[in-house]
Amino acid sequence: MSELSATVMNLPRRDAQDKLRGRTKYTNDRVRPDMLHAVLLRSTVAAGRIRRLDVSAALRCPGVRAVATGADAPGLYGIGIADHPLLAIDTIRYHGEPIAVIAAETEKQARAALAAIMLEVEPLAPVSTMAAALQPAARLVHEGWRGYEVITEGGARAGNIAWEAKSSRGDVDAAFARPDIRIVESSFTVGRQSHVPFEPRVAIGSWEDGRAHIQTSTQVPWTVRNVTGRVMQLPPGRVRVTVPPVGGGFGLKFDASIEPITALLARMTGRTVVLENTRQEEMATCLCRENAEIRIRSAVTAEGHIAGREAVVLMDCGAYGGEQVFLTTMTAHTLGGNYKVGATRLVSRAVYTNTPPNGAFRACNGVYNAFALERHTDEICDALGFDPMEFRKKNVLGDGDLGATGQVFEDDVLGPMLGRMEALRATTGTSEAKADGRLYGMATTVGTWFVFVGPSAATVNLNADGSATLVTSGVEIGSGTMVQSLPQIVAGQLGLAPDQVIVREADTDAAGLDVGVGGGRTTVSIGAASVAACAEVREKLLRTAGEMLQTRPEDLVLRDGRVEITARPGSGMSIPVVVAHAQATTGPITGSGAFTARNTPAMSGCAMGHFIDALDIPVFVVHEAEVAVDPDTGHVEVLAYRVVQDVGRALNPRAILGQIQGGVVQGLGYALHEEVTLTADGRIAQDDFETYRLPLAQDAVPVAADLYEGAPSMGPLGTKGAGEVPILAVGAAIGCAVARAIGKPVRQLPLTPPRVLRLLHEREPPPELSHIAPGWAANTLG
Amino acid sequence: MAPGVERSFTAASTLEEAMAARRQGAAVLAGGTCMMRDPRRGIDLPEAVVALHRIPALSKVEIEPDHVVIGAAVTHVVLGRALHGAAGFEGLVAAAQGAANPGIRRVATVGGNLCAFDFAAADLSPALLVCEATVELETFKGPKLLGISDFLKDRHTLLTEAIVTRIHLRRDLIASAHIRLPLRKAGDYPVAIVSLAVDKDKRCRIAVGSVEPVARRWTALEQAMAAGPPSALDPERAAGFALEHNDFQGRDGREAEGWYRRQVLPPLVKRGVAALLKTEGLA
Amino acid sequence: MTVTFQLNGEDCRFHGDPMTPLVDILRQERFLTGTKAVCREGFCGACTVHVDDEAVPSCLKPVGLVEGCAVTTIEGLSSGNQALHPLQANLEAADAVQCGMCFPGMVMSLSAFVRDNPHASRPEIKAAMVGNICRCTGYERIVDAVADCLDQARKAGQLVGGINV
Repeated sequence: MSELSATVMNLPRRDAQDKLRGRTKYTNDRVRPDMLHAVLLRSTVAAGRIRRLDVSAALRCPGVRAVATGADAPGLYGIGIADHPLLAIDTIRYHGEPIAVIAAETEKQARAALAAIMLEVEPLAPVSTMAAALQPAARLVHEGWRGYEVITEGGARAGNIAWEAKSSRGDVDAAFARPDIRIVESSFTVGRQSHVPFEPRVAIGSWEDGRAHIQTSTQVPWTVRNVTGRVMQLPPGRVRVTVPPVGGGFGLKFDASIEPITALLARMTGRTVVLENTRQEEMATCLCRENAEIRIRSAVTAEGHIAGREAVVLMDCGAYGGEQVFLTTMTAHTLGGNYKVGATRLVSRAVYTNTPPNGAFRACNGVYNAFALERHTDEICDALGFDPMEFRKKNVLGDGDLGATGQVFEDDVLGPMLGRMEALRATTGTSEAKADGRLYGMATTVGTWFVFVGPSAATVNLNADGSATLVTSGVEIGSGTMVQSLPQIVAGQLGLAPDQVIVREADTDAAGLDVGVGGGRTTVSIGAASVAACAEVREKLLRTAGEMLQTRPEDLVLRDGRVEITARPGSGMSIPVVVAHAQATTGPITGSGAFTARNTPAMSGCAMGHFIDALDIPVFVVHEAEVAVDPDTGHVEVLAYRVVQDVGRALNPRAILGQIQGGVVQGLGYALHEEVTLTADGRIAQDDFETYRLPLAQDAVPVAADLYEGAPSMGPLGTKGAGEVPILAVGAAIGCAVARAIGKPVRQLPLTPPRVLRLLHEREPPPELSHIAPGWAANTLG
Repeated sequence: MAPGVERSFTAASTLEEAMAARRQGAAVLAGGTCMMRDPRRGIDLPEAVVALHRIPALSKVEIEPDHVVIGAAVTHVVLGRALHGAAGFEGLVAAAQGAANPGIRRVATVGGNLCAFDFAAADLSPALLVCEATVELETFKGPKLLGISDFLKDRHTLLTEAIVTRIHLRRDLIASAHIRLPLRKAGDYPVAIVSLAVDKDKRCRIAVGSVEPVARRWTALEQAMAAGPPSALDPERAAGFALEHNDFQGRDGREAEGWYRRQVLPPLVKRGVAALLKTEGLA
Repeated sequence: MTVTFQLNGEDCRFHGDPMTPLVDILRQERFLTGTKAVCREGFCGACTVHVDDEAVPSCLKPVGLVEGCAVTTIEGLSSGNQALHPLQANLEAADAVQCGMCFPGMVMSLSAFVRDNPHASRPEIKAAMVGNICRCTGYERIVDAVADCLDQARKAGQLVGGINV
């Protein structure tokens, strides 16, 4: 039995029964009667200076056990730059920003005591938009930006520009000056997307033996540990984070936010404290997928060769830098992906505004850059008279082509995937007949993403009953990695059945460092660390068995729970016998493994301010949508949706297809329904399920998907993450299909019925991006 | 509510008991789907409530040869089921079966829907307008009957001293239809609603909900269609009249701006007439 | 005020504010945390329970209105070591579950639906799901599982829930 055939299977989820019976205890199901309840005093202005904050009266309210303010947790945190206080200190930068927190015996008492906090705020005119933030005389959202600790060196920063990343390869000016090219320019704007995990951000903190213990619904236990240490000015080792099953993340829980507050209050009170966002708080302060503004210009020859390309991407980070600082990196690989381009230069800026901070959301940055790039590609085809499919086939990245930072891509992947899409379409047929008199459009689009690798650790303990315990900092957020791919990988390595693999839930006291569940990295990074841990276990197991069987270890094999002589199935002995012998002679059998990125090289000097210069594991998708647009009301119906996804190796094809179905529908929400707007006073207007329109069952369609295997990957058994990327090109496919259906350019998402109707009647104003200077270089800090 | 004060909750079993509680200042609790959301909107729950679900007379639908009586505590689901297949009430059934979502429809009542005066997108209002329903109220001074149009206009003041008890409908319609336009397929409040009905004299009644703060009849369109030949009951022609006589001021809301609500009315009229023509009464 | 009702087949007495949402009593007093309070406004369906056999959102149900009623929660649908409800079994077989938080409410809504609509079509199943939001799965596998469940019941000549047709 090969390692691969022992690993690949449609393993069912071990957590499904309890979840279906309502028995799974998520963090917010673990509230006990003896816990204190914490509630936050949040700002009701978007910008201001705190003139007075007196909590003494609140402390005297019935049931109140502690009140904390920014002074109690003075450390700042952030990604790239430490600019974010746990609770506002002196300055308020967004509507909903936490200012103080009260812990009381009941939630009602805590809420009642909020009114007793004396708060005086001098309001300031908020910097509400990126256009306002980039005005030369704009008020600085962070007056003291120069003084912040820089955690990662290399980015350019100034005033309201929290971070700037650039990539530049080749002579773009020369390409645009060529006499044989035509220049096509497009502008796009996209709004925010709210994750809406069913379990909001919630944490339960206690103080045990001089250390904090936080149980929380997070994707990043190590980040919560480290941020809690930072803000409380403790060594991070004095913080323990454990993670129960998580009721949805989608990237929202890829950063710390309210969790450290529970540790702070637990230390103050000696009690266990729970803090859970209400749905309104959760939505009003969601670390959304950022709104963005994009201008892209290309120089294209009459033969359809992209000689040069330049782009400016503005990403609203909101009041604090957060993930956007890191995500500026991604433009080089998303907007700079998909196509071979002669010379290219791209700048991506995270811009501070007085709005709720944004964060990470499934295929961050990629979703809107794929939309912009694919719509721009269609505008090139329109302008120069190319067939969009032929243009893509001719220009998609292939073996040896260069990315924006000079990375050399390996193998032809996107080209064959386009062919597979045509084959898939031949089997499904098309759905134009279902348009039934409405405007019909179909579009095929491509997308480039990556697996965010980075450090992971794993320990495998082989038990005397023949089971193995896998200890990692992985978290089950719903995608199935902890209950499907990881037990499959470990079982395949050790010749066990997956149900013999016990998977420990994340505990920073038990497992080594991990950068978190996100970016499609768990199967790859924790999987690779697990494979390494299993190698050590195998080596010990075979050595012991070899001694027992008087056989060389290299002649032995692990299969079906036994150690056998390779050539003689049924020989040898069961694993428990070997484990028992080892325990009595050399000690218990354990193995540990570690993994991190190999740092695929970029071209020298091409990437500036980047956290990742090149993609260690690129991932490609081809998405195809068919839509019908009602010309009377602007409603878009998705008639059919097809996906060809580069998965490297499908360990659990059925689970991957489930991720694709879910990711595509989440993308349909982004493309068509889910709209976040900011009110004049800086609030997120859609802070409930009435106004934030998530896709419902009737808005979904069955996605026809083909898994493309065999593209190069450094992941274990050739895997790539499969859960992140299904959302990547949905905005692109829908945007292009709607544009073709209505015969008008689509430059904004979401395509709500009113927007589509305006487009149809040419009443939709084009994006107004006068704050992006005409010359590319003028949009950079030099 | 002041600390230490216990909320008064009366599950009235007679109308008299309900009125007594009402006189004491109790607020009427129907299905609860509206009131229970008040705390989320920053409104405290009332200190005293009176629930109507135990009053038998308010919880039934009586279908007679020439009229129908609907108790105010009848839920959307029960209403839809009771009138299913009754000729002429296709629109009211569609309204009852299309509002909100299935769970809400099992709980939310006819009376609650009509009394939520800040809820512009109520499905039942336009559907009952084209039925020319009569609303029966129990006031502090005794029972009172009122046309649905007047009730909708004046309910803010009327309801300070009254409970809606029943809705009376004549069976003078041969066909009706109810066209709602949410932004998704369903599940959000419709940004515009057009209800249509044809009576025994072949006169067309049309009402519009959700476009303006209060649902109302589209008199200008009704007159235009009445002036035309009987063939005016043609979807395209009706849409043309609707475009010409569009006298609505669309309200701006978080889900849609006023111009959109107004602009989609002619196509909704077109769909509505097409639906009318498919009913048994007109086919 | 005291409110008395049946909860998963046993008497339950609640002393307190009759306007307390039923979901809060289930979760906070009875520790029946399978019922999820997600939107608290009747849109998501995660808090769906059966009240006198009807699937309703428990977030908008003041406990005063369930006096004398029989309330069944997800814990009461297949308790202890009992086999899964056929719908739950089909959802498990379809690998439909992801984060899982919507499923208790989904199961409570759809178990009543399959009981009452043995011949439902796929569009009818989807229409029945308008008040149950799932953020993870994209719905189609849930629809598949409901359709499979109805198919199996029809083939066995039974209504889902074991009653002979």
